[in-house]
Amino acid sequence: MPVDILMPKLGLTMTEGLIVEWRKKEGDPVRKGEILFVLETEKVTYEVEAPEDGTLGRILVKEQQTVPVGAAVATLFRPGESAVEASASPAPVPKAEAATPAPAAAARAAAAPGTAPSAGRVKATPLAKKAARELGIDLAAVAGSGPGGRILREDVEKAKAAGILAPAAAASAPAPAPAPAQAPAAAADEKLVAFTGMRRTIAKRMLQSKVEAAQAYMGNTVDATELRACREALLPFIEKKYGVRLTITDLMMKIAGAALREHPVINTRWTDRGVLYLPEVHMGMAMALDEGLIVPVIKSINAKSLGQIAVERTALIKKGKANSFLPDDIKGSTFTLSAMGMFGIEQFTAILNQPENAILGVAAILDRPVAVKGQVVIRPMMNITLTYDHRTIDGAEAGKFMQTLKAFIEDPILVLG
Amino acid sequence: MAHNTRITIIGGGVGGYPAAIRAARLGAEVTLIEKDALGGTCLNWGCIPTKALLQSAVVVRTMQESETFGVKCKGFEVDFGAVMARKNSVVARLTRGVGALLKARRVKVIQGTASFVDAKTVQIRETGEKVQGDAVLIASGSVPGRIPIEGIDGPDVMDSNQVLAMQTLPKSVVVIGGGVIGVEFAQFLVAMGTEVTILEMLPGLVPGVDKEIAALLQKQITAAGVRVVTGAAVKGIAHRKTENAVTYTVGDRTETVTAEKVFLTVGRKPDFSLLGIDKVGIRHERGAIVVNEFMETNIPGIYAAGDVVGGIMLAHLATAEGECAARNILGHREAMNYKAVPSCIYTTPEVASVGLTEEKAKERGEIQVGRFPLRGNGKALILNEAEGLVKVIADRKYGEVLGVHIIGPHATDMIAEAVLGMTMEMTAEELAGAIHPHPTVSEAIMEAAMTIAGGAIHIP
Repeated sequence: MPVDILMPKLGLTMTEGLIVEWRKKEGDPVRKGEILFVLETEKVTYEVEAPEDGTLGRILVKEQQTVPVGAAVATLFRPGESAVEASASPAPVPKAEAATPAPAAAARAAAAPGTAPSAGRVKATPLAKKAARELGIDLAAVAGSGPGGRILREDVEKAKAAGILAPAAAASAPAPAPAPAQAPAAAADEKLVAFTGMRRTIAKRMLQSKVEAAQAYMGNTVDATELRACREALLPFIEKKYGVRLTITDLMMKIAGAALREHPVINTRWTDRGVLYLPEVHMGMAMALDEGLIVPVIKSINAKSLGQIAVERTALIKKGKANSFLPDDIKGSTFTLSAMGMFGIEQFTAILNQPENAILGVAAILDRPVAVKGQVVIRPMMNITLTYDHRTIDGAEAGKFMQTLKAFIEDPILVLG
Repeated sequence: MAHNTRITIIGGGVGGYPAAIRAARLGAEVTLIEKDALGGTCLNWGCIPTKALLQSAVVVRTMQESETFGVKCKGFEVDFGAVMARKNSVVARLTRGVGALLKARRVKVIQGTASFVDAKTVQIRETGEKVQGDAVLIASGSVPGRIPIEGIDGPDVMDSNQVLAMQTLPKSVVVIGGGVIGVEFAQFLVAMGTEVTILEMLPGLVPGVDKEIAALLQKQITAAGVRVVTGAAVKGIAHRKTENAVTYTVGDRTETVTAEKVFLTVGRKPDFSLLGIDKVGIRHERGAIVVNEFMETNIPGIYAAGDVVGGIMLAHLATAEGECAARNILGHREAMNYKAVPSCIYTTPEVASVGLTEEKAKERGEIQVGRFPLRGNGKALILNEAEGLVKVIADRKYGEVLGVHIIGPHATDMIAEAVLGMTMEMTAEELAGAIHPHPTVSEAIMEAAMTIAGGAIHIP
């Protein structure tokens, strides 16, 4: 018996689908899993795979035609079945029991209710609905953690917290079409973790940044001997005066702030009307929470002493751990520094934290053999990598900024100049 | 993972046996060890027998007030032996039922006392048999609490287990402790014709219950003939030939009350004394086994649920915890949620509540309180029980229902509506907007919610 290829049901509310494109022609041999056609609903485009090996028979629904869910759109002949014989038979009509080999996607979509953000009724508690209305949160984008996958007030508030991080994302054009919930039901030792609002925001923003900005990278290796010496010299003084421990990250934020003052084009924002130069440097500090990434901000860093920076950093980390950031704590950065030294990372590139135009990745300080005046000596070396938006910043500008950074790191006293 | 996991459950009470059935339904091989009777405290010495007795008290009340309903009774007589016998038959029927349910799910039931050999193995003391599994659930329950006062071990001092085994009705009783257990026993005994005095150390009966509701209950318990002394610190019990003198202080006065029997109802304490949990290093604090939100102890693979983990000691919570533990053992990852745990008192009138009391809610933030006295409820008047009240506590911002408190007829059945609603994060608006059947007492819940959400109909 030939197999009917049906219009799949990709979500609870999907009633019909438009065939955008046939990827196979009548008579083409197909293998299980190959794409047969592309369909489009109001919400998504979706590639429909062949349910098994065979030969594509009659195509019953042409491109740009819309048919109801469950309607046969083509027939597929199993190996050994005669295409000629069957194509002579009357075109199959949608049958009640036609659900036979319902494309796996339909079954899967139904198997993961609550996690599918798009189609169907949103399950949310009355309290969550009220909170969402007041906070202006789209419940469709919130993952529910309550009974039966219901969205709770807590979920809405988490989404709000994540949303504050990303006003740009919230206002942006329709997000890239989400793939229909095709997460398979988790097998025994697999685990399916529903997206949190924060995870969704991070995903949106990171992808958006990669897609929108012309990200280019530039790295350098710097000698951290003086940087370390500087930290060691200041550590007891700052600890006594401010009660906090100065870190390399504090010094790097201070140095980056000073270098940005020398190269205003790095401290800018891309806007539709032009490049916005920002008078103040508000230093973003990438920070990992259990739930994901967040970028708290040290405002006007050039007006602050190293001790004040260390105090603010300590306070922000504490707030982050306690999940008590205020909107202002995580808003308005003009440049971001991401430090990975604590993981012993030798080198890495970061993704732009839009709307900023540059982000600096600071790796670990590691002892390395280097040539100094014709001699191989061991020096504490550190890799720094700049990611910059080439739409705004040319390579030469980035190079000059990196040059200044290197000079400042290798001789931190220059920052005072 | 979900198949053929072997689970050993210690305790066949309402923490253990529903967990056994749930685990078996999820495909586990379950062994249940019970040292006494299936059904544990709830079925044998707690919820079920006490409520069975209280139903006899309800019948007495019905007889007493029959003339109000136009029915003249030509006198009645309480046959205490028959009252106890009926209670026993209800209990017997239910425990038999538990055995049958376990059997139907192929749960292996071992009669005996379990103690740990190692984290995966327990041994039955009586037979030496060893039971090994992939996980252990401790649901060993609790025992009646005691207080260190003189004469506490006297022959006429009884705990709740002993009261339920009484053969004859005492003429007079002093109940030490005016908590839920104390007031229920007092109500039962006073209906049977016993002279009852409750001594409660705190300023009011049923501490922990919403103050306004507790005060109404105290008024009605007193009206039913129970003498209630609050703020009473018991100093000692002197046993004499036919009576016992209980000495207590109220403020700086020392007083004595005498009675044939003394009932000690001063709470319950978790019991794991026979399990040897220290041998495998299971953490316990302040007499209770410590578990995380997934009901797992500090030893991976060993879970605990019910009274033995302390906190709120209620049958329905024990069952929920046990089932939560069973699911987590079998690969789920589900945290126990304590937001909407109802509690009930089976006095006349009944008391039921869920969530925060008005006092507690005020400590947390801005609230609104919707009140509806049962005087305005038709069905309560029909039942001749109009001295009740429903209170709905909601937060001010969104009207989230934080607590519902009921004193009145059918309170214990009606609270389920509030529990469901609070589980679903209902606000006062939904509670007020849902169509409630008429005439029922449940309309009072709707009207109490209405006083927050737009105003009640049957309050001027």
